[in-house]
Amino acid sequence: MKFLDHLEEWLIASLLAISTLIIFVAVVHRYASGISFLQDFALSINMSWAQELCIYLFVWMAKFGAAYGVRTGIHVGVDVLINRLSEKNRARFVYFGLFAGALFTGIIGVLGTKLVLGIYETGQTSADLEWPMWFVYLAIPLGSFLMCFRFLQVAWNFRRTGELPRHEVAHVEGLEPTKA
Amino acid sequence: MSAYIIFGLLIALMLTGMPISIALGLTVLTFLFGLSDIPIETVALKLFTGIEKFEIMAIPFFILAGNFLTHGGVARRMIRFASSMVGHWYGGLGLAGVVACALFAAVSGSSPATVVAIGSILLPAMAKQGFPPRFGAGVITTSGSLGILIPPSIVMVIYAVSTNTSVGKLFMAGVIPGLVLATLLGVTTWYRARKNNYPRLALASWRERLIALRDSFWGLLLIVVVIGGIYSGIFTPTEAAAMSAVYAFIVAVFVYKDLTLKQVPKVLLDSASMSAMLLYIITNAVLFSFLMTYENIPQAMAQWLLNMGFGAVGFLLMVNLLLLLAGNVMEPSSIVLILAPILFPVAMKLGIDPIHFGILIVVNMEVGMCHPPVGLNLYVASGITKMGITELTIAVWPWLLTMLMFLLLVTYWPPLSLWLPRQLGMM
Repeated sequence: MKFLDHLEEWLIASLLAISTLIIFVAVVHRYASGISFLQDFALSINMSWAQELCIYLFVWMAKFGAAYGVRTGIHVGVDVLINRLSEKNRARFVYFGLFAGALFTGIIGVLGTKLVLGIYETGQTSADLEWPMWFVYLAIPLGSFLMCFRFLQVAWNFRRTGELPRHEVAHVEGLEPTKA
Repeated sequence: MSAYIIFGLLIALMLTGMPISIALGLTVLTFLFGLSDIPIETVALKLFTGIEKFEIMAIPFFILAGNFLTHGGVARRMIRFASSMVGHWYGGLGLAGVVACALFAAVSGSSPATVVAIGSILLPAMAKQGFPPRFGAGVITTSGSLGILIPPSIVMVIYAVSTNTSVGKLFMAGVIPGLVLATLLGVTTWYRARKNNYPRLALASWRERLIALRDSFWGLLLIVVVIGGIYSGIFTPTEAAAMSAVYAFIVAVFVYKDLTLKQVPKVLLDSASMSAMLLYIITNAVLFSFLMTYENIPQAMAQWLLNMGFGAVGFLLMVNLLLLLAGNVMEPSSIVLILAPILFPVAMKLGIDPIHFGILIVVNMEVGMCHPPVGLNLYVASGITKMGITELTIAVWPWLLTMLMFLLLVTYWPPLSLWLPRQLGMM
């Protein structure tokens, strides 16, 4: 379990870092192609795949990041109303919300699996990178099932401890109040 | 008929407190399973293609850049620069707070992030100088909302994506309204401070100002990189966002050295999960608006509103009220994603400029962030000041009134937002 947590964190952080660097390099490359003494070198590298790769990395980051977000309680809803209810009734709505989340992500996971299988049979590849599309789309079922699992995990923890993960917006680590 | 079912279901699901993204998704699924003939397989595909747009990638990059700047000591230096420039006037540090928020807004695309970056440093300092906590909290909560009006802005990117408008034009259109609002908030601060005779800072010498400017130079340069880069066409907005993320990383880690390499993975992880949350709402909202378009709801609504005889003036008033109301229960990105695709076609039919309409929505979102029950800025400020939401609500009133008046100005005087992009020949 700890291993899965770390893998998830490590994966989304590096996907974000890598895609930022790719776009950065692609822009530098584009302008280097315009400078005479760098031109030959720059033109010898083909960067046309950058945008496509970046989008795929992002989709993977988004899907797994969403699952990580369930664990850390970053997915916010309209809780004004249910917070006014009694403790017991509020808990009912919390369970309802969590199971609805698990249901939705579960259904998407199943639909995503079907989609991936369908695309696998067509043997479709991506435009620039020529990667098999089924692999790219694999992010949907994997991410969704992981998210489904996280919703159930949060529900289980809520039952055991009565606490939900809360995302602290105001807390900034490493930023101590200092005099301006 | 289906419109009532869709909206009724969506609102009912949202009120149970489940994540907005899940409520959107479940509404679509329920409708598709029960009432429609759209092949269900398209849903999964839409979940992927919904974020397959290069423009959307600007959001994670801007979030990342903003986080590097918040942790990297850029905010602190901007505050020092601002207070050396305006700190000797009435309002002192409070006025400096408005200026610092405006400066930070020009490098960050989010309002709560601006409140955190400026507030967590400035509010304790103001309390130490003898400002009443309410005053400081009021200034920073409202000025922080400049984050989404002064470019770059995540909310503008979301609006642009969901209505197919140009991000670059929107960014440029936000500049002047942003400066005007900053001035108005500054005047409010100045007036209240003068009336109550709050502490002022000693007049800084030009030498001190120069040192403060040189110190914050690397942060201020980013404003040039982003706005200049997009305007001159060197970068697309997404590329500008990626450049500013890399630039902010270098400044935070190697130039200012306020952030150690060890902390970088944490910043990356926080930014990634914040972006993933937004991207997840976006994918589900894309799904939702796909359903709406399929059922012809925006067109039907536009027709209905036109038949009701709303002119542009009445329509805009209605939009403002609707958005302010929605601002009571949801955060900006969700509101824009759900309501923009519905309101946009009507606005177009009434001949309202798409860019002007976007700025109007953004200003509405700013107001929504500063008032209860769910003003995000309020919660952030409450976390910093340890003040209750009710007390903060009273604290922000004077500035909130200013913002409401500004909203009227933006709504009914389009040149305020459209002049600059026109002058620049962008439209």
